[in-house]
Amino acid sequence: MGEAGAFVAELNDLQRLLDEFTKHGYTVYGPIVKGKSWVFSKVSSIRELDLNYTRTILPPKKLLHPVKNRIFDFKLNDGFEVFESCNVKNIVIFGIHPCDLRAIEKLDEFFSQHPEDVCYEARRKRTLIVGLTCNAVDEKCFCNSLGTGPEASTGFDILITQISDGFFLVEVGSSKGLDILKTLDLAEAKPEHFEAKRKHIEHLKSSFTKTADFEGLATLAKDKLDHKIWVETAERCLSCGNCSMVCPVCYCFDLYDSLDLTLKEGVRIMELDSCQLLEYAEVALGGNFRKERSQRLRHWLLCKFGAAGGSTYTSCIGCGRCIVYCPANIDLTEIAHVLKGG
Amino acid sequence: MKLKIGVFKFTSCSGCQIELLRINENLPGLLNLMDFQNWTMASSNVQQGPYDIAIVEGGISTPEGIEEIKTIRRNSKLLIAIGDCAVFGGIPSIRNWMKQREAEDLVYPKPEHLKSMKVSSIDEYVKVDVYLKGCPPHLDDMLEALKAAILNIRPRLRQHPVCIECKFYENECLLTTYKQACMGPVTAAGCGAICPNVGRTCEGCYGPMSNPNVKSMVERLREIGLTDEDIMRKFRKYAGTSEYYREVARL
Ligand code: SF4
Ligand code: SF4
Ligand code: SF4
Repeated sequence: MGEAGAFVAELNDLQRLLDEFTKHGYTVYGPIVKGKSWVFSKVSSIRELDLNYTRTILPPKKLLHPVKNRIFDFKLNDGFEVFESCNVKNIVIFGIHPCDLRAIEKLDEFFSQHPEDVCYEARRKRTLIVGLTCNAVDEKCFCNSLGTGPEASTGFDILITQISDGFFLVEVGSSKGLDILKTLDLAEAKPEHFEAKRKHIEHLKSSFTKTADFEGLATLAKDKLDHKIWVETAERCLSCGNCSMVCPVCYCFDLYDSLDLTLKEGVRIMELDSCQLLEYAEVALGGNFRKERSQRLRHWLLCKFGAAGGSTYTSCIGCGRCIVYCPANIDLTEIAHVLKGG
Repeated sequence: MKLKIGVFKFTSCSGCQIELLRINENLPGLLNLMDFQNWTMASSNVQQGPYDIAIVEGGISTPEGIEEIKTIRRNSKLLIAIGDCAVFGGIPSIRNWMKQREAEDLVYPKPEHLKSMKVSSIDEYVKVDVYLKGCPPHLDDMLEALKAAILNIRPRLRQHPVCIECKFYENECLLTTYKQACMGPVTAAGCGAICPNVGRTCEGCYGPMSNPNVKSMVERLREIGLTDEDIMRKFRKYAGTSEYYREVARL
């Protein structure tokens, strides 16, 4: 990172950075306060952003893999005509924390496999990512245990770290990021600034209260499909799907067609789905692979622990969202602990 | 050939039909496909069946109602129940939990003239082909059911909870963040999370989702301080007689 270039900036420089993005035709999204929570939202001024945010309700995936996405329009005449309609524009996602950066890398890996998701790829190509080192961690964060934070080394075009009040280290992660930063004429970062960042990261690392040990769980959990923890926890689970909706790596979706009243034209919709829901594993004639709540809860957790199909990509990055938003206080780190014989 | 439609009402508030009247801009398209032959709320020009589709609002609460709904069923190829009253008995079924004569005395000065029974869903008496939950069901779901009927396919009526739609809109969670008694985790979606969207708890008006964990929901509501009486009322409100809520509603 240091080699690619690094600068120092004050708050008004970050405002200039936002202005530069706008000048280049980007719409900027960043974390803003919503009641007692935070959401990524369109912003034009650095003052709208809360650079001290903890975690947003929905992760940045909402901008790359939208909850509801019209992927094409179709017409049924003699044959079947398709008009691609993924709606793509230039955006900047400003202020993504290290764990969420890692999640985007996982989404990238997944959606670029054959057959690629062309809408995702188009969107991703036109997205600039500005990472933000966390200012603090809370009692639900556990990225430190998984090695997905609190320090980011990849997955951003620019990375910002507040090293003292109103003073930031700005690191370059890509040539696109460098091109934009060059126009700002910022002072180059000096060793003392990197040292300040290192101290900050050390401080963060020592302030985690939540730990998780997922090592080897992928195989271990598969051997424990009959463990009583699944059924016991499912007694509390509401199958509400909140956990996977808010998970930055859960990408599973439903596809359906919606016809207009001519019955000759319509749209195909890609909509975020959740394996915690009964309908998710439903097939024709009323068959269902995971009728039991405990099977669905187990499936979701296995995936997060790295065991279910595709889970190389979907597994957990330790953001804590599913724990915060579970109405039944189900905490995957506690389940991991029990499975490991704790 | 256009489909012949009849729209009928039993014990209900007519709100579902009002929602159906909202078709407005969809009307020209819809009228190309179907002919509303009997819809007294919309037209005094009434033709007797048989119908391709009967759309039925309201629960059954009189002896005459039983005969009428059976006749409608005999006269229709497909029967769509619209709204909680038709699907579960709905709000009027709150009175099922008290003695019939007490309910009558509460409302009517001269109840001796009444010929009323406990309220039930229409599938207590006849086979229902499509259930549209909601108080009222969203117009989009009604259109989905009608389009599917024409194409002879299964309508897409997902029965997942309101929480899913609530997350689509990225609302703050009223239950976990604000400890408010939101019924979203057990309630079927379809409304578009309209109450949480404006910061109000889900009242449960779509009735139970596909497989609600009622027991756990009761625990969650107790945790945030609701009494068992409060909880019982919440489950009685729209779908107290449903298979899933019956036990708690009786509490
Ligand atoms: S499983 Fe939970 S803690 Fe892990 S990344 Fe997903 S939401 Fe975050
Ligand atoms: S958020 Fe909690 S209650 Fe809801 S499906 Fe996930 S684990 Fe179950
Ligand atoms: S506000 Fe209600 S509907 Fe929305 S997520 Fe929370 S519990 Fe579910």
